[in-house]
Amino acid sequence: MKNSLFLSAAVAALVVTSAAAQAADLRMSWWGGDSRHTATQEALKACGAKYGHTINPEFTGFKGHLEKLTTQIAGGTEADIMQVNWPWLPLFSPHGEGFADLNELSGTIKLDNWTKEQLESATVEGKLNGLPVSTTGRVYMFNKTTFEKAGIPVPTSFAELIAAGKVFEEKLGADYYPFQSSQENAVLLISQIATQLSGKDLVDPETGKVSWTKDQLVLAINFYQSLVDAHVVPSWKEAASDGNIMLHEDPRWANGEVGGSYEWDSTYFKYSDPLKASGGVLEPVKILKVDGAVTEGVYRKPSMLFSISKNSKNKEAAAQIVNCLMNEPEGITALGATRGLPASKAAATLLSEAGQVNPILLKANEIVMASEGPSMSPYNEHPQIRDIFKDTMEEFAYGAISADEAAERIIEDANDTLSELN
Amino acid sequence: MGNNRFLGLAYLAPYLIGLFAFTAIPFIASLYLSFTDYNLISAPKWAGLDNYIDMFTRDRTFKKSLWVTLIYVFTTVPLKLAFALFIAYILNYRLAFINFFRTAYYVPSILGGSIAIAVLWRYIFADAGLVNMFLTSLGFEAVNWFGDPANALFTITLLRMWQFGSAMVIFLAALQSIDKSLYEAAAIDGAGKVRTFFFITLPLITPVIFFNLIMQMVQAFQEFNGPYIITQGGPLKSTYLLPLYIYDEAFKRFDMGYASALAWVLFAIIMVLTVIAFWSSRKWVYYAGDKRS
Repeated sequence: MKNSLFLSAAVAALVVTSAAAQAADLRMSWWGGDSRHTATQEALKACGAKYGHTINPEFTGFKGHLEKLTTQIAGGTEADIMQVNWPWLPLFSPHGEGFADLNELSGTIKLDNWTKEQLESATVEGKLNGLPVSTTGRVYMFNKTTFEKAGIPVPTSFAELIAAGKVFEEKLGADYYPFQSSQENAVLLISQIATQLSGKDLVDPETGKVSWTKDQLVLAINFYQSLVDAHVVPSWKEAASDGNIMLHEDPRWANGEVGGSYEWDSTYFKYSDPLKASGGVLEPVKILKVDGAVTEGVYRKPSMLFSISKNSKNKEAAAQIVNCLMNEPEGITALGATRGLPASKAAATLLSEAGQVNPILLKANEIVMASEGPSMSPYNEHPQIRDIFKDTMEEFAYGAISADEAAERIIEDANDTLSELN
Repeated sequence: MGNNRFLGLAYLAPYLIGLFAFTAIPFIASLYLSFTDYNLISAPKWAGLDNYIDMFTRDRTFKKSLWVTLIYVFTTVPLKLAFALFIAYILNYRLAFINFFRTAYYVPSILGGSIAIAVLWRYIFADAGLVNMFLTSLGFEAVNWFGDPANALFTITLLRMWQFGSAMVIFLAALQSIDKSLYEAAAIDGAGKVRTFFFITLPLITPVIFFNLIMQMVQAFQEFNGPYIITQGGPLKSTYLLPLYIYDEAFKRFDMGYASALAWVLFAIIMVLTVIAFWSSRKWVYYAGDKRS
């Protein structure tokens, strides 16, 4: 009796100790807006309760988040679970060692909820650095109401878009344009044209160099100029006349003077909401193609990843929470579509069955997912590469250099930078 | 006695800790980092003078940014000082509601550094903004304030000039401290307002002009909010002041070593110009009891 009492006490002590060892204090960081903040905190409570962990939330807006995360990673004080922007992978993990390798936690995280292609996009030198939360891409969106005012349908090809320039100018006035493209949007548009013509992404995955030829890039740059000349988009100079203002905050967008743009599908509401006051309806359309295109050249990528810190003392516990947020009903239901349409099959199925996804968002995402194009390198959005492209294009747009010189400089400087980075 | 000494140190401690932790240590660390290749993620690698050599031999952006910064400082500071002195001179008269006007002119300085004012500035000078509405109502052509490289820096300069209040208040105090008997003597001798201003007022406030010159110059070299919010340094880098370039190198491109080197060059430029100002002040600044004639 005495022995069995002792044994029971020992077993009970072991159970308590073991439970205490499993219960972990974790931190999770992310950026976003209010709806995402609220939903994520609810999800963390639900998943924490399920596994007996406490997760402290650390959230900010997008602006400044990269600086904060960089400082934390530099000091080794980053959160156990982090929301990481996909293009940041080369910054933090050029050789795959910046984050925990999630392949090693595949016993806890059900990786079969992602396609091979999705997992590859988050893998650096064989190490799975994060899990795609959602897949996003650029789509063409047009203000149907403005096009109706001009008496023409929403364009389905670049030829129709170019024809719309003159119609807008004549019927609606010189201040009206069927599209806008300057700064980063111009860079992305030119990139897409070059991809359509070459069938290749900016960076060749084999050589790590720019894959477009100078001639292909010259054609893409001249195509952009033809849009300016045909009154399809305001010139770079004209677009800059309002200063550094975001399109969705621009009164010209809100009152329908700008008829369309090329934006992330997941940001649909950001651009459609300001149109409500003027009665505008924003319609996402299939990827427009240029003559001679060999692919649609869709710019598709994981919008963001959930990663686990390589310095985390509780990687297993963090993996349980990541799995709960992405693959289990408690997390999925609470998060909803606050990070776009989930990439995880389990989450996508659950949310669409529950009717938690807006049909227009679904349509925009379907366009992205159904379109074809080569895999995109995260270097497309590397700050140095982006600056080379943007600064050179600005010089071209202001007439300081020719399309030939611009293409030559972009290829040469981007190759130099890619060599330095790799 | 000993206790009092420690009590004094205890009172000073919070300031001293802040000074060392947030100013002195980062200051020295940035000097070291300026000789390294440091991307925040990996440990700094010693690079010797590479950052400085690159800056002066290869970096086109640095040359452009330095040039823009010098133009900005050498236009903003004299214009702002002249305007502040002009307004202070007017406000020195006994006018009706003078205290209201003094407060009203000072308000922009309080608001000046804020993001909200920069955003407001963007709307005022936008294509369809208040300024262009006014110009077109008078029959003039609308001006592309931000999109034209020839105008963008001027628009940012106006924002800084508009914040003349703090310099004005200091000028006003200096003007009020001038002995009235000097003006009376000048009036008896038949001196008009212009001569009185140039031969009595201006020489007597030169110490304050000198103080304002140094303060405004240092502030102008550090201008960040205006161009960052309004133009992001564009178009064609026509408003890309050095502090913006330092920020981009540090937090957009994560080249902390290079950003530190840029910051030290900016520091050196401010230092040299301040030394020149102090040296030249012997020729044009007059203090009370000065024996020069």
